[in-house]
Amino acid sequence: MAALTAARTRRRLAPYVFVLPFVAIFAAFSVYPLFFTARLSFTSWRGSGAAEWVGWENYTYLLTSSAFWSSLANSGILWVLIIPAQLVIALLAAVLLNSARIRLRGFFRVAFIVPFVTPLVAVAQIWVVVFDTQYGAVNGALNLLGLPDIGWLTTTVWAKPTLALLFIWKTTGFIIIILLSGLQSIDGTLYEAASIDGASRRRQLTAITAPLLRRTIMFAVVLQTLAVFQMFAEPFVVTQGGPYSSTTTAGYYLYNHITRADLGTGAANSFLLVLLVMVLSLVFVRLLRAKD
Amino acid sequence: MRHPHLNARRRTAVIGIAAATALGLAACGPEITSDEGPTTGPGSSEPPAENQLVAPDSPEGEITIWDRSGDLFEVFEAAIPAFNERYPDIVVHHEAVDIDAKLQNTLITGTEVPDGVFLDDARVAGYADFLWNLDGVLEPYLGEIAEYKVDVNSTTEGIFGVPFDSNPGLLYYNAAALEDAGVDATTIETYDDLLAAARDYADAVPGSAPIHLEQSPFLAQLQLEMFASQLGTSIADADGELRLDSPEYEQILTFLDTVQSEGLGTRAEYLDPTDIAELENGNQVFYPWAIWFDFAPQQLLPETSGDWRAMPLPAWEDGGARSGVMGGSSFVLPSESENADLAWLFYEFLMFDEAGYTSVWGPSEVYPDGLNTSIPSYAPAADPSEPLFAPVEALGGQDLWAVATEAGEQIPGTVPTPSWWAGAVEYLGNDLQRMYDDDLSPQEVLASSSEAIQTNLIDRQ
Repeated sequence: MAALTAARTRRRLAPYVFVLPFVAIFAAFSVYPLFFTARLSFTSWRGSGAAEWVGWENYTYLLTSSAFWSSLANSGILWVLIIPAQLVIALLAAVLLNSARIRLRGFFRVAFIVPFVTPLVAVAQIWVVVFDTQYGAVNGALNLLGLPDIGWLTTTVWAKPTLALLFIWKTTGFIIIILLSGLQSIDGTLYEAASIDGASRRRQLTAITAPLLRRTIMFAVVLQTLAVFQMFAEPFVVTQGGPYSSTTTAGYYLYNHITRADLGTGAANSFLLVLLVMVLSLVFVRLLRAKD
Repeated sequence: MRHPHLNARRRTAVIGIAAATALGLAACGPEITSDEGPTTGPGSSEPPAENQLVAPDSPEGEITIWDRSGDLFEVFEAAIPAFNERYPDIVVHHEAVDIDAKLQNTLITGTEVPDGVFLDDARVAGYADFLWNLDGVLEPYLGEIAEYKVDVNSTTEGIFGVPFDSNPGLLYYNAAALEDAGVDATTIETYDDLLAAARDYADAVPGSAPIHLEQSPFLAQLQLEMFASQLGTSIADADGELRLDSPEYEQILTFLDTVQSEGLGTRAEYLDPTDIAELENGNQVFYPWAIWFDFAPQQLLPETSGDWRAMPLPAWEDGGARSGVMGGSSFVLPSESENADLAWLFYEFLMFDEAGYTSVWGPSEVYPDGLNTSIPSYAPAADPSEPLFAPVEALGGQDLWAVATEAGEQIPGTVPTPSWWAGAVEYLGNDLQRMYDDDLSPQEVLASSSEAIQTNLIDRQ
């Protein structure tokens, strides 16, 4: 009887023991920082000594700060510049790479992923040189066409599109892989049936591929939305948030608080950012469900 | 048989435990007070602990020293054998680290804290809470260290950095190009003289824009502080109060605005491709900058290397100081480190012992003619008559040591750099660029930057 009870207890405990390592790591590296940050966001603390309780002051400061809203607006504009263009490029590239008639498919698949695995710092240095106003290759090409120089990284009008281009170039390979995996999960007989029914390739793309890829596309959109609103390395390396803070993204603005050791405001800023990204993600998920 | 109420109870218990754990975890943070200010540190109502470093009785053990990677890392690395001749029982672990990225977290968490760290002067005061007070150990040397260098390492509570180098501002000029244009740069003594020389050069060389105007907001603000330092002022006073909106800053900005509005300035980022090209083609011939600009003619300007010379900065008025400070670094000793006292011996040797400072500034594998991008801040090491580095070929064989040490002696005393200095770039640095864009007048720069810095940085300290 005792042996039976012991065996039952072991069976009951087994699942908890199996998940314990994950729970422990999750608690240490996710739950703890989350609650620590939440607590910190209501204080003024510079990393040493006791923190001063300031209530909602950090949140009030941020929500009434034009710099905070401007950083969100910068990220929003980058989102508009990046996501639609990137999805179109990635979808077309994925469809092409999925086609059996394309030669050297392996080569192209690798070629598209190379920018994604290339260190950003190296890429950014090349970007800075290529887009230099006076001696960059891009303006050199424009001059050959009789067009004037453009301050790609030095004017508020062009700095965001140039940064968006870098982001698109760097990360589109990853989105292509995601979409490619989605494409490969579509049953090929659907295309055969459509062909027999006389559907053109374009019709197949809009009536079969796009609808069946909708979940994958939404996943890519959510992923890239997170990436755009957390974008830090690109402005840090290429523009340092300038000119005139026009490329100070939400992620870069948050970093500025941390470097000033204004940890309470930084914590509040992260929470506001998390909240925003959560809302955006929920909106996308809702859109996805509504169509289902 | 399943018992729904039992499952519900179990779920509630699990949620309760999770919530309690989370709250417990969250409580593992800094102590929180509801007082007007923190109990320690800046703004504290209680006097801080003295935290005075004491020199060790027995010089034996291991130290970890952080330096930023690059030429200076190699210079200090090469100096370690000389240190070990004096202190054979101290093992130095010398590490190249991205200090700006790593130091703050290391000090806050208190884990794997190095014994000594190379740090920009502008950051020393901001970290003072985490550092040893060096008043006692530095006392024998204070009278011989450049006054401004002690000031930038000090707070009201003590001195927190071992002064390393002095970075006097100098006026670099392309002597060959100016001579070809019939402009005698050696007669320049004031900024009015500089403007006149620039106008003459622009007349002689159409299309030129002789004076460098810095486009990087950070470096432009650093250069502005160099000009201000000449006038004995700085962005904040000794109490951290903002003093930007002043006649001195207005005078400097008016000069820079004149350079821009008369088309006498080349606006480029320090040594970016545009800047280098304009230096090489003779369009840009005046570069008011810290001594470390001499790296450019030595390494980056092959076409005009040898044509450049250095002189003390012009004065803002006849008889005024001919130099100001731009940048500079020191060494700090974190109070949480294990062997900071031994690290002090390392820095004491390098900075204040003849064998030490000779090994740093004298000829080495990295700098065969000596480290000529800065000069010592310790007077016995910075003797104008006893150069530690040789004349610089890229400056036509000029004795830069003599020019720099004499200029360094003229730098007026200053005050600690406020911890929010780098944050001010977002306002002052950017507004300077707006002035160069003709969007703001000098007065508007001072007014708008002052308000933004006060609201967003100082009031939030």
